[in-house]
Amino acid sequence: MPTIEDLHRGTASAVAAPTNVATPAQRRAFTPRKKKKPWKSWLLFLLFAGPNVALLIVFTYKPLLQSLYYSTLQWNLGSASAIPVGLGNYVTWFNDPGTARVVTVTLIFTVATVGGGMVIGLLFAVLLNRKLHGRGAARTVIVAPYVLSGVAVGLLWLFVFDPNFGITAALLDAIGVASPPWYNDPQWALVMVIIVYLWKNVGYVALIYLAALQSVPRDLLEAASLDGATPLRAFRNIVLPLLGPTTFFLSITTLLSSLQSFDIIQAMTKGGPLEGTTTMMYQIYQEGFQAGRAGYSSAVATILFAVLLVVTLIQMKYVEKRVHY
Amino acid sequence: MNTTPSFTINRRQILKLAAVFGATATLAACSGPSLGAGAGAADVAVTDWTGITPAKEITWWSNHPGTSKLIEEEIIKRFQAENPQITVNLVTAGANYDEIAQKFQAASGTNSVPDLVLASDVWWFRYMINGQILPIDDLARHLEIDTADFNETLYDDYTFTGNHWAIPYARSTPLFYYNKAVWAKAGLPDRAPKTWAEFDEWAPKIQADGGVTPLGLGKGASWAAWWFCNMLWGQGGAYSDEWTMTLDTPEAIAAADYLQSLIYDKKVATVAAVDQVADFGAGLTGCIMGSTGSLTGILEAATFEVGTGFLPEGPEGQACPTGGTGIAIAADRTPEQQLAAGMFLKFLTNSENTAYFSSNTGYMPVRTSARDGETMTKVYAEFPQFRTAVDQLETTRSQDWGRVFVPNADKELTTALEKIMLQQTDPAEAFAVASTAIATSFDENVSAYL
Repeated sequence: MPTIEDLHRGTASAVAAPTNVATPAQRRAFTPRKKKKPWKSWLLFLLFAGPNVALLIVFTYKPLLQSLYYSTLQWNLGSASAIPVGLGNYVTWFNDPGTARVVTVTLIFTVATVGGGMVIGLLFAVLLNRKLHGRGAARTVIVAPYVLSGVAVGLLWLFVFDPNFGITAALLDAIGVASPPWYNDPQWALVMVIIVYLWKNVGYVALIYLAALQSVPRDLLEAASLDGATPLRAFRNIVLPLLGPTTFFLSITTLLSSLQSFDIIQAMTKGGPLEGTTTMMYQIYQEGFQAGRAGYSSAVATILFAVLLVVTLIQMKYVEKRVHY
Repeated sequence: MNTTPSFTINRRQILKLAAVFGATATLAACSGPSLGAGAGAADVAVTDWTGITPAKEITWWSNHPGTSKLIEEEIIKRFQAENPQITVNLVTAGANYDEIAQKFQAASGTNSVPDLVLASDVWWFRYMINGQILPIDDLARHLEIDTADFNETLYDDYTFTGNHWAIPYARSTPLFYYNKAVWAKAGLPDRAPKTWAEFDEWAPKIQADGGVTPLGLGKGASWAAWWFCNMLWGQGGAYSDEWTMTLDTPEAIAAADYLQSLIYDKKVATVAAVDQVADFGAGLTGCIMGSTGSLTGILEAATFEVGTGFLPEGPEGQACPTGGTGIAIAADRTPEQQLAAGMFLKFLTNSENTAYFSSNTGYMPVRTSARDGETMTKVYAEFPQFRTAVDQLETTRSQDWGRVFVPNADKELTTALEKIMLQQTDPAEAFAVASTAIATSFDENVSAYL
């Protein structure tokens, strides 16, 4: 007789004859009756889940809903009173001439950091997966920036990109190229913060991809090799599809962290020059804490939350279907 | 290979989620501001200070302007020696005035509000309309604080609706710094140019013979729109006349045109990438307009002799804004705490401590008696550059409301000036965008609360 484990694994098909299949009536007869959970189980559940649920309510759901409520107010941060304006803050944001710029900056930053991060991270992971001298040290060097504080990284690169005293200026000067106006041109400033963000976060992508690469079955690759597949073809047709779940996971986590990026921009450009590095996340901070427009800032935060939610749901609903496990 | 179940959500899960959100929505509605027209400063109750006993402990939020933590601690030590019944807790509440303000506003309505808080030129008004700070006058009278001894402009900077809302503390003005070695190479007299017209005459010599870009300009919030007051007022313009923006006047446009011409036509000025003071200290530019608060740092960092002078005059004469920070007392504290805070404030800004703070940081001596006292006289003898800064104080004026009292106004003006300096945008166009945004912000964030 097959064991329960066999049935679960589906390995009992050979021994399980069709005659053994229970009729619906038999199945009903053998199904154990649902026992009412004793109060002790509920207490145990409350004991373990209660604190987490309470923390989630107080620190996640309550602020989320509070922010939603504040977004309907015209409220100066620090003031004890506010004026209800309904959807006024949302209307203002959508009609503001600066909104198109903020959305464009956010899009460019997100696509560049998520897309760039995934590609570079995968390349690093492939490289680090090979048996090379100094591989351990290289892994540490690539992953280390990820654990550094974003503000510290920003301040460090502030000097690196300085067009008068920075190392990039010195390197470019050595090949006869003038340093771009990293800090005085909005486009270059955006390129600069993207580079720094990638430098800091690509180690995380590489680390996750590396773990996934190491779980790719060797026999599949050996079989492909025996069948005459080139390493590139084996990578494209075997490794990449097997990395599907990892790519899917990374696409969600890196997208979320990129859209919420703040520290590097704050340390390096403060959203400038000419608001050229003001993303939606940075706009929330500027409007809420610099301009003191707490209601308007909450409206932008709610819009960003809605964007994140929709993008994540789309990813889970449609992209996940294309992923093979 | 099998696939994992696709993302689905059933009715029961939706109901559970709704229950959680419902519970938290109830919680969320229990907090936040009250609804209705702005209460603002008018609601601050008048206190009869006689018969009130000072609190035993007060808290002071500072960012220690001019690296003054040790100085502030020393003054607290002296105060506690004289008043052993009162403990003063000094809290580093931010790296700059903006960070302090963010925390102070976020703490509103909680138990974490300090008794004393730094209130910079662009923040005190917002504290006032939010009803977060106490008018000083009554308490100053009760404690016999000699307010007549304060520099009049610096004290009156904090006036609105007939009350003073803060007391001057770490106050600064822009100052003209020049590289004496470059000046000598260019064969110029050892002084700052008296007017911008004179600077225009000198600039080609500084460039050709001095070998550097003549003028370094700074960009960024809380900075560009501050030093630009000099060019703007010097041309007879202003950011605003009380609450009405006046950036469309020929004088304001002329000031911006002049600024733009220095960079693009005459090519004698450059906008610093990161820090104009560092560029000047490294000898990349011949002169800058910097804060008097940077004086000590510039003198220490520069490898050449630094000269200082008044900001150059425009066609309409001398024009120099005040800046820096004062100290305010929080409204949302008990009268006992406010009285103790007032006592400490009186001690902190007395003549002796003003001179002590000023001589160690480079900030302006805010009291006339301190300015002319023994301590500062010694400082002037050692650092004659400091004397220039103090003398210039007599020519200063308070800033335009359209920059310092309207939320986001400084940011809008900074963006306009950056467009003018970095992208050669037509000044009229850049100023029009800023003026509209500031006027909207006034309607939304100020007028409703006045």
